[in-house]
Amino acid sequence: MEKGLIALAAALAIAIPALATAWAQSKIGSAGAGALAEKPELSGIVIILTAIPETMVILGFVIAYLILA
Amino acid sequence: MIKVMSKVQLIGSKALLDEVIRLLHNLGIVHIESIPARIGLEDSYLRRQPIEREKALLKERLEKILERLKGIYLLLPASGAGREEGLMTGDMPVLLADITSHAFLDEVDKLEKEVKGLHAEKAGLSEEISSIGRYEKILKGIAPLVAKLKGLNNFETIGITIDRAKEDIIPLLENEVGRIAEERHQFFVKDIDKDTIGIVITYPKKYDAKMKALIASEAIAEIKLPERYTDMTLFDALKVMIKRREEMPVLVMNIDNKLNGLALEWYKKLELLMRLLRDTIDELKTLVYCAHTRFTFVIVGWIPKDKFHALSIAIMDKFSDKVMVREMEIREDEIDLIPVYIKNPKLLKPFEVFLNILPPPKYGSVDPTPYLALFFPTFFGLILGDIGYGGILFMLSLYLKKRFKAKEYLANLASVLTISSLFAVAFGIFFGEFFGDLGERFGLLHPIIFDRVKAMKVFLVLAIGIGIGHILLGLMLAIVNYIHRGKGKEAMAKASTLILMLALITIVAILAGYLPKGLITPGVVIMLAAFIILILFEGIIGPLEALKTIGNILSYARIMAIGTASVALALVANKLGGLTGNVILGIFIAGIIHVINILLGILSPGIQSLRLHYVEFFSKFYQAGGRRYEPFRKTGK
Repeated sequence: MEKGLIALAAALAIAIPALATAWAQSKIGSAGAGALAEKPELSGIVIILTAIPETMVILGFVIAYLILA
Repeated sequence: MIKVMSKVQLIGSKALLDEVIRLLHNLGIVHIESIPARIGLEDSYLRRQPIEREKALLKERLEKILERLKGIYLLLPASGAGREEGLMTGDMPVLLADITSHAFLDEVDKLEKEVKGLHAEKAGLSEEISSIGRYEKILKGIAPLVAKLKGLNNFETIGITIDRAKEDIIPLLENEVGRIAEERHQFFVKDIDKDTIGIVITYPKKYDAKMKALIASEAIAEIKLPERYTDMTLFDALKVMIKRREEMPVLVMNIDNKLNGLALEWYKKLELLMRLLRDTIDELKTLVYCAHTRFTFVIVGWIPKDKFHALSIAIMDKFSDKVMVREMEIREDEIDLIPVYIKNPKLLKPFEVFLNILPPPKYGSVDPTPYLALFFPTFFGLILGDIGYGGILFMLSLYLKKRFKAKEYLANLASVLTISSLFAVAFGIFFGEFFGDLGERFGLLHPIIFDRVKAMKVFLVLAIGIGIGHILLGLMLAIVNYIHRGKGKEAMAKASTLILMLALITIVAILAGYLPKGLITPGVVIMLAAFIILILFEGIIGPLEALKTIGNILSYARIMAIGTASVALALVANKLGGLTGNVILGIFIAGIIHVINILLGILSPGIQSLRLHYVEFFSKFYQAGGRRYEPFRKTGK
């Protein structure tokens, strides 16, 4: 039972930030696509902006690992 | 590094101004500064150099010729371009007088007419081809019906098409046609394709107006022939159309051959002429940047300090003491106006490509390129860390470098990939990875430092450790930046953030058992002192920035997370390949997953490493807001 709860906690630790990251990236991605249509030279910045929310899921991954370790 | 710049002033006789400008243009090292707007308004002996009327007219004329040449150049096929010949060959350069001469302009007129005429002809032909394509199917469908009716005098024939979905209206239409033509008509129906039905109606000419009105009111598509064929009957039009279609490829080919012939003669010549025109226009435009007194001109500009000697020698050689060059003192309020010239050794230069998407750094601040050149490939290698993947990316980068030799931006990216893939191979050796665990499966490779899958905790500590080092380096560079720019207060604030971070890390290390417990009291005292100093210098923003810095350090965990994901995907590929039980199928399946991983292996480590630089590292010290050094030089140099 305890093992199952630990696994569930780890899964939630990565799943919730993953959803949050996906949501944030969708917003940034669509705004970025709009910006690129106007100014294609911004492509580098837009790629970086899209990568910014990934910190959430990466920290989630680390926490999930620490829960399981 | 950001080169040290000198402010230079050139003073000489006004009669020499044109020659001086030409020399500066050829040298291509002086960033000419516009004379401030206030000069000329004040009661000063110095005035803005007004552009003489005849020069203004010449500039306008040259711009018009340039536009025309550009128009012709864009219409010529690049594939037909010949070698540089004609006007510009040999040692004799073309003179401006040649380009503005009537003879040359007449030649341009002729060329322009010919090229535009050929293009119009080609456009007409392709339009005809597409319209014939549209009509052919319909006409072919009703041709047998029209042929039957040939020779009927005083009778009119019209063709219409109806969607198969509206098939039901055909009997109604026939009734209505019969009523209008008082049953003196013929009504033929023929399937054209699965969606369209063709109808041909023949009736005495006197009912034409009523019949046309009926067709129009029922919104039925009458077959209208292209303009060229309107005088012909449907049947004759079809015959002519088929004949035309057979001729057309030959006609188009003839036009292409003529265009290629013109391109062979003119393409390179036009490129050279346009370059010459652009350069001359630039020289004329530069005149307005100069100031003048009654007898002299004054040019002010910026030049890399190490090039000043070369400029002095060039001016001395050409004008001896008639033109004077001197290095001027840079005033305090001019520091932010100094153009920024970043010049790095050949090995580091490709990494400058990553700075192009940011505004240039301020003059006198630190150029981040050397740090980028060290840390970007390191992070890339740590994340990818595989001999096989690194090797493939290395080969790919060499191919891309060769392929995009002429495109500097892409060639630089390829060079960055070459260096980064070598780091990936090196880390692959340390982690004992060759397409995941393939090397280990065959007993050829073993992890030297640690196994990335089994020792995730070690990898995490390493990633965070690198983050600490990278961020602290960023803070140190910020201190150097502020000291260089004489901003003591800001330098002290950054120094206190640095000490606060060091104290915090020491305390964490003590609590984790890596350092003796006796150090905890001095650690806490130093941390509190740094915290208070930080608040004194920066207010409440200071501690918030410090908190953000902790977040920045934790963000380096992505090196471990993305790296582990990369190796896990490689392991999955090998495992799935092994499960098939068939060597060929196994290699095929594993190959597909490895290819996906390699593609991700270019994007993911690249983007994540860049992000760590732009967001985490640069935010600590990068001072944007400089002006790029844009020397006055000839196009194509």
